[in-house]
Amino acid sequence: MSSREPLWFCHECHAEMRPLMVPDPVCASCHGSFVEKMENAADDPRQFAAGDDIGDLGGAPGVDALLLTLQSLMDRGMEGRNSPNQRPPTGPSVTFEVRSPNGSRTVRFGGANTLGGRNHDGSGPASPDGVPNMSTFIRMPPLNPFGIPLGGPSGGAGVDRQNISGALMAQYLMALLGHNDTATLGMPENGRMGDYVFNQEALDQIISQIMENSNAHRPVPATEEVIAKLPREVLMEGSERLEQDCAVCKEQFKLDTEDPDEQIVVTLPCKHPFHQPCILPWLSSSGTCPVCRFQLVPQPEQHAPPGRPGADNGGSRSPPSPNAGPPSSLREQAMSTGAGAGRNGAPAPGNGNRGPEPGGLFHSLFSGLSGFAHGSHNNHAASNSNNTPSTSHNGGSGSSSSPNHDPSHPRSWSPSWGGTSGGSRPRSPRPTSPQPIPQQRSPPPRRSSSDPASPNSHSTSPRGRRSGNSNNLPGGWADELD
Amino acid sequence: MASISSRRLAKELREIQSEGCPVGISLLEANDFAKWLFTIEVMGDSVYQGEVYTLQFRFDSHYPISSPAVQFVVTDGKEAPIHPHVYSNGHICASILGNEWSPVLSVIAVCVTLQSMLASCKKKERPTDNDRYVRNAPENPKKTLFHYDGEHYNFKSTYLQD
Repeated sequence: MSSREPLWFCHECHAEMRPLMVPDPVCASCHGSFVEKMENAADDPRQFAAGDDIGDLGGAPGVDALLLTLQSLMDRGMEGRNSPNQRPPTGPSVTFEVRSPNGSRTVRFGGANTLGGRNHDGSGPASPDGVPNMSTFIRMPPLNPFGIPLGGPSGGAGVDRQNISGALMAQYLMALLGHNDTATLGMPENGRMGDYVFNQEALDQIISQIMENSNAHRPVPATEEVIAKLPREVLMEGSERLEQDCAVCKEQFKLDTEDPDEQIVVTLPCKHPFHQPCILPWLSSSGTCPVCRFQLVPQPEQHAPPGRPGADNGGSRSPPSPNAGPPSSLREQAMSTGAGAGRNGAPAPGNGNRGPEPGGLFHSLFSGLSGFAHGSHNNHAASNSNNTPSTSHNGGSGSSSSPNHDPSHPRSWSPSWGGTSGGSRPRSPRPTSPQPIPQQRSPPPRRSSSDPASPNSHSTSPRGRRSGNSNNLPGGWADELD
Repeated sequence: MASISSRRLAKELREIQSEGCPVGISLLEANDFAKWLFTIEVMGDSVYQGEVYTLQFRFDSHYPISSPAVQFVVTDGKEAPIHPHVYSNGHICASILGNEWSPVLSVIAVCVTLQSMLASCKKKERPTDNDRYVRNAPENPKKTLFHYDGEHYNFKSTYLQD
């Protein structure tokens, strides 16, 4: 170590030395760990430790007296503990006025509330003689019970006494020295003060906040401008819209509605139509298509599901590769599988590292249960002008049976569910050949928005067809859940 | 006029009552459009064979724009399934219940999803952060942001600030 290296100061034995690095520095003299490098002349720890010079510190003349008071409170606490049934003593309060560069501040210790609860929880250490210096304070076991009746009538009632520790004391002192921005010196709500936490909950919250700040998955709402530019149409007699459903309310578009706004159909760029009153609230929370997740505004990147080598839409039941990381979410998985189903019909060029995907979970979740995908499919087909006329299922009657449907779409609840169960499944496994998709799809702007429609888009799900969802799952599930 | 929420739920309920639920799922209670209860059972071979769980849905007036609050019932002697994404207080870490909810999903779709989540489970274990989460979890699971850590295949949870 170079001789020009600054010396260190030990707050415990007040030695100036070069510490032992083991690997954290400890005092070479007393082996204490509370050592500080003296590299900033403006913040010389020797001054801090010198009690006689405490008045020099940042205009905090009250520290000495503060420590005395704290000591006396502790001493009284000891008395109280010795006579547990005694009413807590009500000592006089001590008031400090602390002047700091931030202005003066009044600090009051003592008083009845301060000492409440002392009896049942006294576990303080034997009081050291005299006024402890700060390093002594910091090494002390928790100073419970100990309340500071600042910041409201509750005084120390909300204080988690067991968690008041030397760190809190340091915080008090820092506050007195004008280094703390907390308005009061009472125990903060939530067990937090500055950088300190005093209980598990507070720590959890801090962790949570950090994680929340880094959370990149919150949906981003569509801007008003984007929403305003969406094409709208008023339903007219004979419109093909009337055979389609709104995927949000799952009702068929119809002309006679109580709410005239429901005759306004908003079509997203992915061609999915919705009642205006249905889709606008959604877009205000997430700028995506509810059906296909087309992004009207850029959305936070989801975890990209890994490629699943060997997975195909032909009903492979092999478990997914254990090395394949799971996608970030069930829905993404669902989305991607739905897209995969469509891709079989309209082969898409290589799409990053994502191989062909097992099909239809998303589709099955959505279309099998709601019938929306049928409408979306038809709508999509209409945009490609190469499809059979659409039919719709979820009529106003509330029944979702589908008496007629596009023959190109075999009527089944879901290819993926159908293929996912074991032997008890009454229905044949999902088709081993790709579902026919009569039209080529235009390249999707993004993977997750690639396939608004899926091949089996009928909402009807007779009981038997729903029964096959028990055992193995479409490939992605195990991925997801491992 | 009934709200979009109650119209949509009424429609879903009609379908449940007319078509029934998928196998392994049955409607236990739906007295209003605020809270529904289902029983859910994994059919076939699984680590949950023979176990029946109760799933609670709570809806607010913005359903289906806002997701339902879904959790397993853990009162009255009922327990949540032991699963890496199910906390012992019944809260479920499933993205479709949170960030990736879509109004095209439905109550039954959620039931089927969760049933499948259980069915695919190979090993019964609690989330790694179960204790931490349960200790301070909000009453409503929707106030929790679940984070997916793709690298560690590990879900973590966050409490939303009110």
